[in-house]
Amino acid sequence: MKLNGVAIDDTFAEAFGMRATRILITALNLKWAYHAAHSLTGFATSVIGCGCEAGIERELLPDETPDNRPGIAVLLFAVSSKELAKQIERRVGQCVLTSPSSAVYAGLEGEQVSLAKNLRFFGDGFQMSKVIGSQRYWRVPVMDGEFLGEETTGMIKAVGGGNFLVLARGQSEALEACEAAIAAMSKVRGVIMPFPGGIVRSGSKIGSKYKALSASTNSAFCPTLRGAVKSELTPETGAVLEIVIDGLSESDVRNAMRAGIRAACSLGPTGGVQRISAGNYGGKLGPFHFRLHDILQ
Amino acid sequence: MTPLILTLRATAPFDIDLSAVTPDRLTGVKVADVALTGGRQLGELFDITGEDSQNIIIRNPDERLTHIGAGMREGVLTVEGNCGAYAGLAMRGGMLIVKGNAGDFAGAAIAGSRQGMRGGTIAIYGNVGDRAGERMRRGLVLIGGDAGAYCGANMLAGTILVAGKVGLMPGFLLKRGSLLLSRAPNPLPATFQDSGEHSLLFLTLLEKRLQREGPTLAHFLPVARTVRRYCGDMACGGTGEMLVFI
Repeated sequence: MKLNGVAIDDTFAEAFGMRATRILITALNLKWAYHAAHSLTGFATSVIGCGCEAGIERELLPDETPDNRPGIAVLLFAVSSKELAKQIERRVGQCVLTSPSSAVYAGLEGEQVSLAKNLRFFGDGFQMSKVIGSQRYWRVPVMDGEFLGEETTGMIKAVGGGNFLVLARGQSEALEACEAAIAAMSKVRGVIMPFPGGIVRSGSKIGSKYKALSASTNSAFCPTLRGAVKSELTPETGAVLEIVIDGLSESDVRNAMRAGIRAACSLGPTGGVQRISAGNYGGKLGPFHFRLHDILQ
Repeated sequence: MTPLILTLRATAPFDIDLSAVTPDRLTGVKVADVALTGGRQLGELFDITGEDSQNIIIRNPDERLTHIGAGMREGVLTVEGNCGAYAGLAMRGGMLIVKGNAGDFAGAAIAGSRQGMRGGTIAIYGNVGDRAGERMRRGLVLIGGDAGAYCGANMLAGTILVAGKVGLMPGFLLKRGSLLLSRAPNPLPATFQDSGEHSLLFLTLLEKRLQREGPTLAHFLPVARTVRRYCGDMACGGTGEMLVFI
């Protein structure tokens, strides 16, 4: 199969079940909502070393937020409910509560998990509860006024680890194609691409020659190892980049992959884009399989 | 289903305790046979039409009707005029709308009980008597007109909004909770301390919620979003507040 002259491998991306929530962060203006959101989603590229995967889903207009201020929707994914709850509390406490003029609200319905429930104790007894409608909010006195936070947010079962690989003539061509893909995927609701700028260059395989490591470099896709290992690359491929997608549902991941692959392929062979592939573990580990050919049909 | 409408036939010569007339208590029973205080039945005093007990309307009411919505847990109860004392007494949920004045102890506690209203919304379009929201634990009381003395006295939590004037000693021994006033009380109780002017986000959330429930309710909230905050009652720890719209 080819898309705009770019070969699409007959393979699939293998993804896993995760737990996820959406949090709405608002502030006096978008700049400060972004400061809080960037801080909260920092160091959240992979559950392997960060505890969770998190990213900015989209900007929110004032009429989309509970308090009529500009805001940011953030998605957080973790491998278990317990870990997600821990990460929410730690990150909101350190990154949103601390950010000037911020407030935080639930962005999803579902099984309830603490949002500002325990952060209220920062108020040292001066915190106030307000039940508005069926929701409880906490008003915590802080030095610029009050931090307002919804008591809980909803948690749902989600999908993490959707991915595709862009094989290109060189590093700059691969990066340009992936940037185009990320620009298109950012418009899809319900997904995040948790790596820096949405793109990862250190794709991994399971296992390592070192016993202490559970994963190591994806040698089959490393251009400098061609000739030394059983490579997946042809001599023309000079660089490979990967885009990893976490989504609130299987269809969200599918839609994002479709948008991203199409955008990457739009540069075509003249733009240095040669092949699109995907990462999997033989289909034995993850319950979600995203076949590239099916997605693009 | 059409709302359950109870129309009072004539002004009663005595007080009628209507605590039996709530959406949860009228579900699954023959409405006309519901017993009232004094051995009378509902059907003897009211013309009854409609069948939706989750949406009750009381027509042609007067101040002799007391305990309307007392202990109510769900649904909507609308009084199309004035009512007597104890409206929404120890209420737990649902919405009580009084399109006139209400007497003393609206949303307050049963005598001897440590907690008054524990949930739901009371919207009174007119004035209320003394001790509205006394010992309130949770919920929202909206007063479109004036409130009498000791409004929100001994309040534990929750929100009371008074769009008109408030009588003597509002928030007396208030422990937690918010007393929202469109005008500063005169005199200001000595045990409330000025915390300055603030724009509080939760007021926006409150306004949006009232707008969702009905445009009429949103009018209870003053247009201004800046308030002067008074901490109090300092005699009870000072963790409650009186917010006066500026």
